[in-house]
Amino acid sequence: MTGITKLFGTVEALRDVDLTVQSGHIHAIVGENGAGKTTLMKVLYGAHQASDGQINLNGEPVSFRDSKEAIAAGIGMVSQHYSIIPELTCLQNLVLGAEPGPVISYAAAESRANELAKQMGFQFNWHEEASEISPSQGQKLEILKLLWRNAKILILDEPTAMLAPDDADLLYAKLHELTEQGATVLVVTHRLPEVMEHCDEVTVLRGGKLIDSCPVAQTNPAELAEKMVGQAVTEHSPIPCNPGETLLTVRNLVVKGDKGNDAVKEASFELKSGELVGIAGVDGNGQRELFYALMGTRNSSGEIHLGIQNLTNTSTAERIQSGIRLIAEDRHNEAVIEDWSIADNAILGLQRTNRVLAGRSINRNTQAELAKNVTEIFPTKFDNVNQKFRDLSGGNQQKVVAARSLQESPQVVLAFQPTRGIDLYVAGLVYDGLIKATREGATVLVVSFDLDELMTYCDRILVMNHGEIAEVPAELRQDRSAIGRMMVGAE
Amino acid sequence: MIDLTYLVAAISFGSLLTSTLTFSAPLILGALGGLCSERSGVINIGLEGKMLAAACATGYIAQASQDPVLGLTAGILVATLLAMLHWTLTQTYRIDHIISGMGINALCAGGTSLISKTFPELGSKQMAAFSIYVYWLCAWTAVIAIWWILKSTRGGLRLYAVGNDPDKSRQMGIKPGKVRLQALLGTGLLTGLAGALIVTNAGSFSDGMTSGRGYIALAALILGGWRPWPTLIAAVLFGLFDSLQLQLQGQPLFGQVIPGEFWQALPYLVTLVALAGIAGKSRAPAGLGKP
Repeated sequence: MTGITKLFGTVEALRDVDLTVQSGHIHAIVGENGAGKTTLMKVLYGAHQASDGQINLNGEPVSFRDSKEAIAAGIGMVSQHYSIIPELTCLQNLVLGAEPGPVISYAAAESRANELAKQMGFQFNWHEEASEISPSQGQKLEILKLLWRNAKILILDEPTAMLAPDDADLLYAKLHELTEQGATVLVVTHRLPEVMEHCDEVTVLRGGKLIDSCPVAQTNPAELAEKMVGQAVTEHSPIPCNPGETLLTVRNLVVKGDKGNDAVKEASFELKSGELVGIAGVDGNGQRELFYALMGTRNSSGEIHLGIQNLTNTSTAERIQSGIRLIAEDRHNEAVIEDWSIADNAILGLQRTNRVLAGRSINRNTQAELAKNVTEIFPTKFDNVNQKFRDLSGGNQQKVVAARSLQESPQVVLAFQPTRGIDLYVAGLVYDGLIKATREGATVLVVSFDLDELMTYCDRILVMNHGEIAEVPAELRQDRSAIGRMMVGAE
Repeated sequence: MIDLTYLVAAISFGSLLTSTLTFSAPLILGALGGLCSERSGVINIGLEGKMLAAACATGYIAQASQDPVLGLTAGILVATLLAMLHWTLTQTYRIDHIISGMGINALCAGGTSLISKTFPELGSKQMAAFSIYVYWLCAWTAVIAIWWILKSTRGGLRLYAVGNDPDKSRQMGIKPGKVRLQALLGTGLLTGLAGALIVTNAGSFSDGMTSGRGYIALAALILGGWRPWPTLIAAVLFGLFDSLQLQLQGQPLFGQVIPGEFWQALPYLVTLVALAGIAGKSRAPAGLGKP
């Protein structure tokens, strides 16, 4: 790709960007929010048309009018916004848009699907409805969709955002096998350790411009981070934690999973004022169900107390009024209403809290204040608070959702993957925000599948494995492999 | 023991079978027409209008030309044109699906009424028509055909996908507008057949002769959870109890005289209860009404 420029109206998303990708390599594209990584990939994939510039594929000039032409040329992309339709089965999703013929033999399709899955080391129940599968399974299904379409150049946008460390390593190992067979992989990511460990080359974008492109072996994380941000990045230095009195007490909590099993088994733990506690674990070990139960959106047995207040049988609305806040995992479906404005989403969930409610209607002054707060706590790029939430970029959406959980004096913030889809610098800001809330007396419980993240920021780490919760002893808190063993129940 | 044998004795089973088939066939065809449309995400409350217009066209053309082929063709053509109008309004001009459907119903009710009153001499001749058995065969074959199309063809998969999520389907290189056009062609064909069947049964067209059967077909579709076999069951159950109530009207129950309205409500009640029991999870296509 040479001299790629992309204008959205008058906004310049990409300015004269060159990108050369060697076939058979894993090439990482890194950069801040809004650096143009995804836009550049979408131009390559034919989803956006470049305003200027030229794309050459194997030395031949090409131009794709739409994604269909890109797929025909062997270029496939998994975007951050899933294209999986939940009402269809996994197999139907796999073949959709690239069916073998007017009449589909699902038996034949399934055997080829199994071959592709085996090649990647994935396992699927192909007749399961896609609404039943976890986000990480969804990610894997998306990758298989590309292979089903015989893509030779795979573009993956934040592929490990929802995978546990081991799954991420496995994914890269399989991607390496693919590249050895002649495929080329482009990865948009913000996880620099991943780039250093698994990628062959790296390209840094900043503000829509090419900053640098070099083999990974010739650079280091600090240098990359500096190029991404444009200034030296300071390491997070832990602030000493002074836990106060116990805020949230959970005793013998049992929560049923979707399949009727006990997803959370007799979980008991305490969260103290002033501490940030992380839950490590592989995706699907009951973290989701635990959070649903704590928010009161799923039935559970056991006891939940906030201070002296018994929350066990209270509604979600009462829990929010008591100061429990959630940063939901699935931003699009659980955290916001995308067709609403930023201002309306700013008070969504907080509508019954004292300052927001004025009699039977919404206090518009408080709403305006909250809208201002949620866009300012973490620097958010937006036009005005009345624009649709949908029109914000993924990272900016996450910033608003995270900021909202810190409004109206939270007592307990439940954060599920709070840095999903946002880059290092902003992730640091979000954690700083959460830590600041704890130092002001709240307590924060974070679920993350990124162990390094938890080890960097958390005061204590719990591990969740098959619905059971255990605490990582203080002396092992920086021992990555020990925690990893606890996560899979080997210790 | 309460003796209900006198009720059973009042039923003539031979005629019950025939009238069940007669009553259910237009419902099956109409409901399947609705299924094509709604599975693709286009809400279609205009089944009634299409069936009425098709009945009108088939009746008068078959009488005027004395050619059953021409009559049926005219009916299907008119229903298809109306389906295309619905497609244009909802897909090209993005008009609300309900409003477009209501408009089509009103247009057809008024239009056919105008024609039958302005040209009363049209209905004087004997109507040339296919045997009713041809239509029964069409109705039952259509269930199998649609079930198979949904289950094992590319078109069926894309119909499903577009009806659930047009945006994501677009990402997969599918054109929702095109899929919906094809789906509505199916709706035109099936509602055309349904209308032709109704007029064939009666022998000639009369004003408002579909008498709400388009809506009942829609209800059967919804009760059947937008799936072909349960929809068929809903339509047949409805037909069965509709013919049963005709035979049972006037019969006392537990020594009491039961108002005719009770018997008339019976088909609706039984269909509802039966499907609530057997249909399991019923789910509307997620993309209904989405652009």
